[in-house]
Amino acid sequence: MFKQIYKSILSLIIGHLTVFKHAFKKRVTLEYPEVKPKLSDRFRGKHLFDIDKCKACGMCQKVCPANAITITKSENGIVKCYSIDYGKCIFCGNCAYYCSLGSVKMGNDFELATDDKNSLKLNFTKENK
Amino acid sequence: MTNLLKTMEINVGPQHPSTHGVLRLVLELDGEIIKSCKPVVGYLHRGIEKMAESRSYLQYLPIVDRIDYLGGFFNSYAYCDCIENLLNVEIPVKAQYIRVLCMELNRIASHLLWLGTFMLDLGASSPLFYCFRDRERILHIFEALTGQRMMYNYFTFGGVRFDIPNEILEDISSFVEDMPECIKDYENIITTNPIFTSRCVNKGIITKRNALQYSITGANLRASGVGLDFRKSCPYLTYDNLEFDISYADGGDAYSRYKVRIFELYSSLKIVEQCIDFIRSSSEPILNKSVKPVMLNIPEGEYTSIVEASRGLTSCTVKAGGKTPYRVKWRTGSYYAVQLLPELLVNCEVADMMAIFGSLDVILPEVDK
Ligand code: SF4
Ligand code: SF4
Repeated sequence: MFKQIYKSILSLIIGHLTVFKHAFKKRVTLEYPEVKPKLSDRFRGKHLFDIDKCKACGMCQKVCPANAITITKSENGIVKCYSIDYGKCIFCGNCAYYCSLGSVKMGNDFELATDDKNSLKLNFTKENK
Repeated sequence: MTNLLKTMEINVGPQHPSTHGVLRLVLELDGEIIKSCKPVVGYLHRGIEKMAESRSYLQYLPIVDRIDYLGGFFNSYAYCDCIENLLNVEIPVKAQYIRVLCMELNRIASHLLWLGTFMLDLGASSPLFYCFRDRERILHIFEALTGQRMMYNYFTFGGVRFDIPNEILEDISSFVEDMPECIKDYENIITTNPIFTSRCVNKGIITKRNALQYSITGANLRASGVGLDFRKSCPYLTYDNLEFDISYADGGDAYSRYKVRIFELYSSLKIVEQCIDFIRSSSEPILNKSVKPVMLNIPEGEYTSIVEASRGLTSCTVKAGGKTPYRVKWRTGSYYAVQLLPELLVNCEVADMMAIFGSLDVILPEVDK
C-alpha cells in the first residue's frame, strides 16, 4: 500500500518535472497572420497559369478528379479562357504534374477563403494574365 | 414502461468533441452504468467507393488519401499496389523503400495524434501539445516532400512522383534522432501516472476471442495477445529486408493498447532509419516509366492488396473494367472497432466511455468512407 503511494507520488513528481522542462523549449507556433509560415517549393496552393505556353491539349482536364478545369478555345484552337473552379478543386496537383508544357503550376497562395461563391471561379484570359 | 422509468436514453455526438469526428452513440443508462450502446455511423459518408466508378484510375488516386486523412499513404499504397498488380508491373526498389519510409513516418504521425487526443479525452492537456509539436515536424517533412501536409497524392502507379532530396533526408534523420527522447518524455508523464493508470488499467477489455470474432486488427488486436502484424506475416514491399520487432500485450485493456502503440513508435523509427540508409546510397530510378497512368485501360480482372495501416488492416479490392474501375471496395480497421463498442461499453460507467473509445483509435472518415 505504502509502496504504491510512494510510486504514485514519485511518478507525479517525474511527470511534473518533465512538463516543467518543456516549458523552456523553443516556441514552435507562429503569430499567424502577421507571420506567415515558410512553405516548401512543392507546396500546392492556388494555381499559376501561363496562357502563352498552353496548347489547349486538355490533359489537365483529363486527369482532374474534380472536373474543376474548363478550357474555352477560339476557332483556331488557341485558348481563350482557362478557368479553374476552386469550389471543386481539391489541390491534388495532378494538372500541374501531367501538363507537359508547364503552363499550369501550383503556386504558394493558400489563403483562399471567401464569402462570395462566384469569386471562387478563377478565369485566366489573354487580357487579365 | 417500467424499463423506461428505470433507464434513461442519452445521445452522445455526432458533434461531441471526444468522438474524433462524427460518431453518434445512443446510450441507455441506468444511473451511471451503460446498459446498452448503439453506434450510429454515416455522418461522414462521402461515397468514396462509388466515386471510383465514374473516374479513371488516375483520377481516383487523389481521392483515396481522404479515406483516412491521418494515414493517407497507406490508402494510396493499397490502391497503387492493386493497379500495379493488375498491370503486372514491378516497381523500382528505391521507390519501394521510399514508400515504406513514408508509411512509417505516417504511422508515427498518426500514433502521435492518437496519443495527444487520447490524453486530452482523459483530461491531460500537456501531452497533446507535445505530440502535436512533434507531429508537426513530420508534417513539415511531408509538405516538403509531397506538397501537402495531409493529402499527399505522392505515390503513383509504378513508383513515387518525386525523388527525396538530401535536405529532406537530413531532416528525417534529425527527427529520428530526436524522437526517442520525446517518446521517453511522454512516457515519463503518462505511463505510470496514477490518474492515467486508474482510468485505463482493466478498462475496456477486449478478450482474444472477441478480438478475433470481431475481426479487430492492428494495435488493438496485438494488445489482446495476438501477435499478428501483416508487415511480418505477409511482408509486402521491402519489409522482409528490414529489421523490426512487433509488439503485443496480453491485457486487452486500454492500457495495453497504449503500451503497444508506444512500442510501435520505436519500431517505426527503427524502420525509418534503415530506409534512410538505403535511399541515401541508392541512385536507382523512382518510377517505372513503362506505366502510362493517364491512358490506363485494364482488362477485366480483380486484385486485393493489404496493408498494415496505423489503425489495423486496410485492404483495397479493385475490379477492373476497362478505362474505369468496375468496383472498388475498401476495408478499414476502424469500422470493426466501432462494431465492437456495444459489447465493450455494456456495464461500464459513463465516465469510462471516452477512455475506452479513445483507446481504440477510431477515426470516423475511415468508418463511413
Ligand atoms: S495547361 Fe497544360 S495540360 Fe492543360 S491544356 Fe494547357 S498545355 Fe494542356
Ligand atoms: S489541383 Fe487537382 S483538382 Fe485542382 S484543378 Fe488541378 S487536377 Fe483539378
